[in-house]
Amino acid sequence: MSAYNTISFLPEHCDGCNACMTACATAKTGAPDVINSRIQIVADGDSFELAMCRQCGDPKCVSNCPAAALAKNDADGVIDWDGTKCVNCLLCTVGCAYGGIVHNAAAGHVVKCDTCGGDPICVKACDRGALKYLTTANIYNEVGDLEDLFVPGLAGCQGCNTELIMRHAMRRIGPETVLATPPGCIPGMGSVGYNGLTGTKVPVFHPLLTNTASMLTGVKRHYKRQGREVNAVALAGDGGASDVGFQSLSGAAERGEQILFICVDNEGYMNTGMQRSSCTPFGAWTSTTPVGERGTGKTQDAKNMPLLMVMHNCEYVATASTAFMEDLYDKLDKAIAASKRGFAYLHIYSPCTTGWRFPSQENIEVARKAVEANFVMLWESNPRDGLQLTRSVEQPLSIAEYLKALGKYRHLSEEQVGHIQATVEKNVGFIKSLSEGCHPAMAQTMSGQA
Amino acid sequence: MSAVLKSKPKAIVCDGNEAAAWAVTLARVDMVAVYPITPQSSLVEYLAKFVADGKLNAEIIDVEGEHSVLSVLHGGTLAGARTYTGTCGPGLAFMFEPYLRTPGLRMPMVMSIVTRDTLTPQSVWGGHQDAMSVREVGWIQMYCETVQEVLDTTIMGYKVAEHRDVMLPVNVCHDGNYLSYGATRVELPTQEEVDAFLPPPATNWHAALDPDRPMAVDPLTGGAGGPGPSMFVRYRKGQCSGMQNSLAVIEAAHEDWARIVGRRHAPLVESYRMDDAETALVTLGSMTGAGKDAVDEARDRGERVGLVKVKTYRPFPVQAIAKALSGVKAVGVVDRSVSFGWNSGPLYQDVIGALQFATQRPAAMSFIGGLAGADITTDHFGRVIERTQALAKDGQVGETVWLNEKD
Repeated sequence: MSAYNTISFLPEHCDGCNACMTACATAKTGAPDVINSRIQIVADGDSFELAMCRQCGDPKCVSNCPAAALAKNDADGVIDWDGTKCVNCLLCTVGCAYGGIVHNAAAGHVVKCDTCGGDPICVKACDRGALKYLTTANIYNEVGDLEDLFVPGLAGCQGCNTELIMRHAMRRIGPETVLATPPGCIPGMGSVGYNGLTGTKVPVFHPLLTNTASMLTGVKRHYKRQGREVNAVALAGDGGASDVGFQSLSGAAERGEQILFICVDNEGYMNTGMQRSSCTPFGAWTSTTPVGERGTGKTQDAKNMPLLMVMHNCEYVATASTAFMEDLYDKLDKAIAASKRGFAYLHIYSPCTTGWRFPSQENIEVARKAVEANFVMLWESNPRDGLQLTRSVEQPLSIAEYLKALGKYRHLSEEQVGHIQATVEKNVGFIKSLSEGCHPAMAQTMSGQA
Repeated sequence: MSAVLKSKPKAIVCDGNEAAAWAVTLARVDMVAVYPITPQSSLVEYLAKFVADGKLNAEIIDVEGEHSVLSVLHGGTLAGARTYTGTCGPGLAFMFEPYLRTPGLRMPMVMSIVTRDTLTPQSVWGGHQDAMSVREVGWIQMYCETVQEVLDTTIMGYKVAEHRDVMLPVNVCHDGNYLSYGATRVELPTQEEVDAFLPPPATNWHAALDPDRPMAVDPLTGGAGGPGPSMFVRYRKGQCSGMQNSLAVIEAAHEDWARIVGRRHAPLVESYRMDDAETALVTLGSMTGAGKDAVDEARDRGERVGLVKVKTYRPFPVQAIAKALSGVKAVGVVDRSVSFGWNSGPLYQDVIGALQFATQRPAAMSFIGGLAGADITTDHFGRVIERTQALAKDGQVGETVWLNEKD
């Protein structure tokens, strides 16, 4: 698994003093000429922007390079440049959206940040705290320091991943929050509570299964009117988001309500006994798509909820998986920030040990296999930059490898596996074509603004 | 649009939908959520216009359907807002899920039902069937006779809903077509008068979604063991107490309104020419005007006929009805809707139930008219009077009479 070490920039702390650029240029070239710095702080009106390598999870510079001179280092996550292979074609500079790899006249070739071997001098030079070096480990530590906003002893099934998502998400979102948990596993495990006792330390409520986004609209709008900063957050299941709750969700997204809607997708109504939802994949056994003499599991493909939300021109939409927590945290932070400007939708896949029929200790492993087989794709999207894969899988695991881990697919025929394989390939092609640039235009066309 | 009459600075000419929008404005409502439906549409258009013109300082949220209309207001109320909306017919049906939940959460708000007959047959015209379909859900329901009463009752609705002994939602029902589109002279109270009448919003002191005082709103409650059963009973019983408390609060609100604004409406039931009446009509809503005219005509002929108008329908003012009708020989109850279970009008059932408590119990018959926009004219009321007088003589309660059956 790729590590996720990178340098983050907090523009609100930056005063444009150039100390980071001077330090970098001196370290890399022996002279303080800031034009040679691998980190560039650029004035943008009253604020500052960072032009620098982000050590991306899905690096465009690497995929653009025809000479294999760029590669992501799996040990520390840094994108290494190999001067012995580079042919100076500069295609990498075209691929990067961050100004993170540029041609340097003095050097005579492209240059980029190498994080100084994990001890970046720019971060040390910044005495205002505008730069931070983030490693995979300290992302976890940082979240661990934050208060868990649920009480111990929520009654989830053994090995449940949803409880993990709830606790980590709310730690990050913080206590200035009104939390909606529509009927399903999340309140079912006691988050709203029973007979006067609650499992949550922030204001929490049961909306109806149908009206989560609408109730949050009312909460958020009134606090905005009063000038109070309160996060309006939903932790909803896929049924409440994609089926009976879809109308209110769609309405709130269209209106651009400042809400963070987290859909925890366990591919069905798992709390009420594992019935089919429109997010249940083709072929899956559920209690309402049973397998028998004539029944073969679900006969339709899953609705692609996150893509539907992209088409609402949301401020931010992303998919995430608990097998890739650093990616999840990154998206959670972006979604929280986006929800202060407009509608943010985060779709987190959460394998269900009970309903999908696999041993509870394999939950994260199942989540990982889903991503590695491209059954679940990790991406993010906003109206300005379009859709970007955050972890593209070039040599996917065979889909059969993923399916055989789950009891709910045990009955599948070769023909059904073939259908799933073909659907996954089609989906991969479609998402990749969106990530290659046609999406913002398409989103505009779809919303009638072209 | 309204025309301001120069001679009377506080008087305007407007229809019931605009009158409701003026009431919302004067009540300083914080949040309105809207979705258009005939015959309510011009009401939400007025609200949008008032917000656009800066008359109404409220958050207005155009949502994608009535279900979300009420759901948005649930969120707003739990955050402390004074909220308003209006709907009718199919919109009310679509709203039913959050509508059902509103009184249980003890959310004080005012919602107009611009009454419309329900489907099917497909119909867009007035009738009380929509409001009657939700009469046992736990909302307070008040029916208006005139456009002026729409305006005054909508403002009074907030005082009732937000009273600490009540804390329940209020429906102000005004008849589709007759009151929604019928324009009359209306006296507009001043903002100072309404401010003196109506205290600032107090909607979420008991149940709130507020990070400054975190609580879990509506955890699972009930079940067969532990504290569940008694806790559930406590909630339900409290809700019923709130309903019963509202009768006195409605009377007090009407009294305050008369004192501050100078206009008096009967709060629960209005007795019209009932002093020595032998037969009585019972009416609901805008039909009352034609009913009173028919009573006047009968009185001109020397007949001892009176009328009792029901203003507050839920909670049903049992004692007030029993008192008003005690002593008459026969009662003709006119409904603009149907009880399918009883083959009569629903108000008729309520009235005969209340007559159980009358000192002298008159016979009563059910008349149904005005369905789907049909008129109930003075001629129709003349027939009601005639039939009820016959009932007074022979005491023979006949089958329900469908007034427009042969129109």
